[in-house]
Amino acid sequence: MILDAYHLPGLRLEDVGEWSERDAGDGLTLRFPVLEPDHLLEIGAGLRAARLRALAERPVASIIAAIDAAATRLADPAAPLRALAEHALPIVTGYSAPMVRLILDRMTADWRRAALEQLVVSEFGRADAIDAFAPGMRPGVRSRGYGPELSLHILAGNVPGVGVTSLVRALLVRSAAIAKTAAEEPILAVLFARALAEAAPDLASCMAVTHWRGGADLDRAAAAGADTIVVYGGAQAVSAFRRHATPLARVIEHGPRLSVGLVGREALATPATARPAASAAARAVAIFDQQGCVSPHAFFVETGAPVEPRAFARMLASELDGLEAVLPRGRLDAAESAVIHAVRATAEFRAIAGDDIELIAGPGTSWTVIYAGDGAFEPVCLNRTVRVLPVSSLEGCIPGLLPFRALLQTVGFTGTGGRTAALAHALGAAGATRITPLERMPWPPPDWHHDGRGPLRELVRWVDLEE
Amino acid sequence: MSSELRAIGEALDPVFALSFESALDAGAFDALALRIFAFQFEHNRPYAAWCRRRSRTPASVRHWQDIPAVPTAAFKEVALVAGPAARAEAVFRTSGTTAGGARRGTHHVLDLSLYHRPLLAGFRAMMLPDRARLLMLSLVPPSSEWPESSLAHMIDTVMAAEGAPGSRAHAGVRDGLDEPGLARTLRAAERDHRPVCLLGTSLAWVRWLDALDAADERFRLPAGSRLMDTGGFKGRSRTVAEDEMRARYRDRLGIEPALAINEYGMTEMCSQFYDTTLRETVLDAAAGPRRKRVPPWVRTRVVHPDTLEPVDAGVPGLLQHFDLANAGSVMAIQTEDLGVRVEDGFLVLGRAGGAGPRGCSIAMDELLSAARGSPP
Repeated sequence: MILDAYHLPGLRLEDVGEWSERDAGDGLTLRFPVLEPDHLLEIGAGLRAARLRALAERPVASIIAAIDAAATRLADPAAPLRALAEHALPIVTGYSAPMVRLILDRMTADWRRAALEQLVVSEFGRADAIDAFAPGMRPGVRSRGYGPELSLHILAGNVPGVGVTSLVRALLVRSAAIAKTAAEEPILAVLFARALAEAAPDLASCMAVTHWRGGADLDRAAAAGADTIVVYGGAQAVSAFRRHATPLARVIEHGPRLSVGLVGREALATPATARPAASAAARAVAIFDQQGCVSPHAFFVETGAPVEPRAFARMLASELDGLEAVLPRGRLDAAESAVIHAVRATAEFRAIAGDDIELIAGPGTSWTVIYAGDGAFEPVCLNRTVRVLPVSSLEGCIPGLLPFRALLQTVGFTGTGGRTAALAHALGAAGATRITPLERMPWPPPDWHHDGRGPLRELVRWVDLEE
Repeated sequence: MSSELRAIGEALDPVFALSFESALDAGAFDALALRIFAFQFEHNRPYAAWCRRRSRTPASVRHWQDIPAVPTAAFKEVALVAGPAARAEAVFRTSGTTAGGARRGTHHVLDLSLYHRPLLAGFRAMMLPDRARLLMLSLVPPSSEWPESSLAHMIDTVMAAEGAPGSRAHAGVRDGLDEPGLARTLRAAERDHRPVCLLGTSLAWVRWLDALDAADERFRLPAGSRLMDTGGFKGRSRTVAEDEMRARYRDRLGIEPALAINEYGMTEMCSQFYDTTLRETVLDAAAGPRRKRVPPWVRTRVVHPDTLEPVDAGVPGLLQHFDLANAGSVMAIQTEDLGVRVEDGFLVLGRAGGAGPRGCSIAMDELLSAARGSPP
């Protein structure tokens, strides 16, 4: 089966001289046009023109209705595009089929009408901030938000759907968008564009999605026409696009992040209270196979309660083992597996050398829990490898996290009782941007302050009308 | 050194003398491997503890295939030595390529003769099958300047035993590669029609070839000249395909690809592996497909990256080596290197170590370097 992994309404396909095909395995071939810098310039111009026709004056309610209709096509298990996503994503990303279904269910919910209306109001305090000048807090001044005319989105491949959310945000502020998909996941954003094309073809003509290989000249051509560049991915990609951006363009970075969990005494009073905490912790690790920016690298667990951290580590291990049956870990490449074996050997030999370390490992490389009695935080190699670190009080996690403050994102908590607010302040000061109950860690709400910033607000330019 | 280790060394003598065309038969290999395993189980405490956790003991292990292979990462954590570490005749350390100043792998060699004999046997068989006595020029600093490098030690040993007078290192730890000196020596070799044997790391070769490119300088080294490169670009951003490197050796040095040999070795192992093409060119007049030859005293398996169970020939996986010459430390080594078994040898497909996970999921190196760069 050949899947055309592009959506390029602004490009005359007869202009494409060369096509590339990639064998993704299991009989799936991905096809892309081999783009030249001129193609990208042409695409950008086409998107700007389409925006003037279909998006620049379109009421936000109409945009939301179209996105909602597209989301339905990816949410409904009986819909052909959903079926295609369920078939292709496990092959291309390596995620297990149940994981892909879970991700699709949860992500598409964020693109439904209610979630989007909430997002707009959360961000702007009113539903019509993009549609009209309206009075705000300042007497005699009405303001209105304007999004970029054309935004460029550089998508990462680790979590399917995050890239679609980036495109949805752009559409909500009436920005035409061009997306460069990641080689590791070049599909879901394309399927979303197709779903949008079924629901509202004129709106879908304001969006281009495809993958191109490296090539600074291509990246520069894509960046040339963009008012705003949103970059997901590693520090290298982020700094490359900062160079490619035109002087007046805004660059919004979602670089590497790390997250952790806190388990307080109140959750460790009895095995019966600790078990749900361990279950939530295991799910936070398992979802996205720990490859999300929201995925925890470690759990800091308070000592002195009846369920001690070491016992919690074993519970966590048993929960991870149980999840393997319902939400199996995906396929890894050899390098990732080798790193897991190395991390396990390191832990085991440290234990043999007398360190207070316990390794609990699942079959193959499926999951790994390392209890480290010295409580020292270090990032792990992901793919369901997590450390459990005892602390005498939860604030004890802060010193270990400080070296990573620029990267710290989500902190999940449970069993913190009346201490949550004080802890949140300490964590916020230490760099965290989201503090949430453990069970919500994997699924930030659509209107979250993503990496500490307003997801729509950071896209708009405000225009004040003073009367 | 214990008398048992000395006795094992003596038992290995005839094995190190075997021709590379003859394989040690399964029974003989098993007998030696089990004897070494029992010795290591008794004298290498951390390794024994690790084996016990897997319920593998000399009483339960019947074949070399069942001897637990230690991931190379373990050499960073404990002294994996079958005797007193303080009595080691040499201590080699891996280079610090991982970010964050991570601990370095350390290999204690109790008995240097167990290192020298297999390394000379291997080098002679694979680099000098014609018994040529060549001027050897090294791009690696001498071990006097770099005592913890097993590679520097290996090259010094080879030059001392097999090199023609004048063989020496053309690099120093402080000054790097002595490019003018190397160029002068090679011009003299050209003029005197004296073939040479060049030894260096892939990284050093890339740098020097870049310099030759920049100066547009070419050598036409006399027939019979040969070259060894070793190591990949682990932890480095630059990767250069091996074929491309060999084309550059031919272009800049006049060394035919078949005589440009990649050596694959590791600090944690006393034995090395070499490409087959030089030996086959010299002995058979024509080289078969390039692959790594396994010395008679080593068994190499390819295992599934997840389960670490052996896979079939032709299926890529992680390389696992059982090196009898490692009698003084750990014989069974689980590498992070990706390889595939082919008829009578294997190919190294990549060095997995240091690779990070994908996406914004943060390659470990990137995480650590970002953390270092952030304000305190």
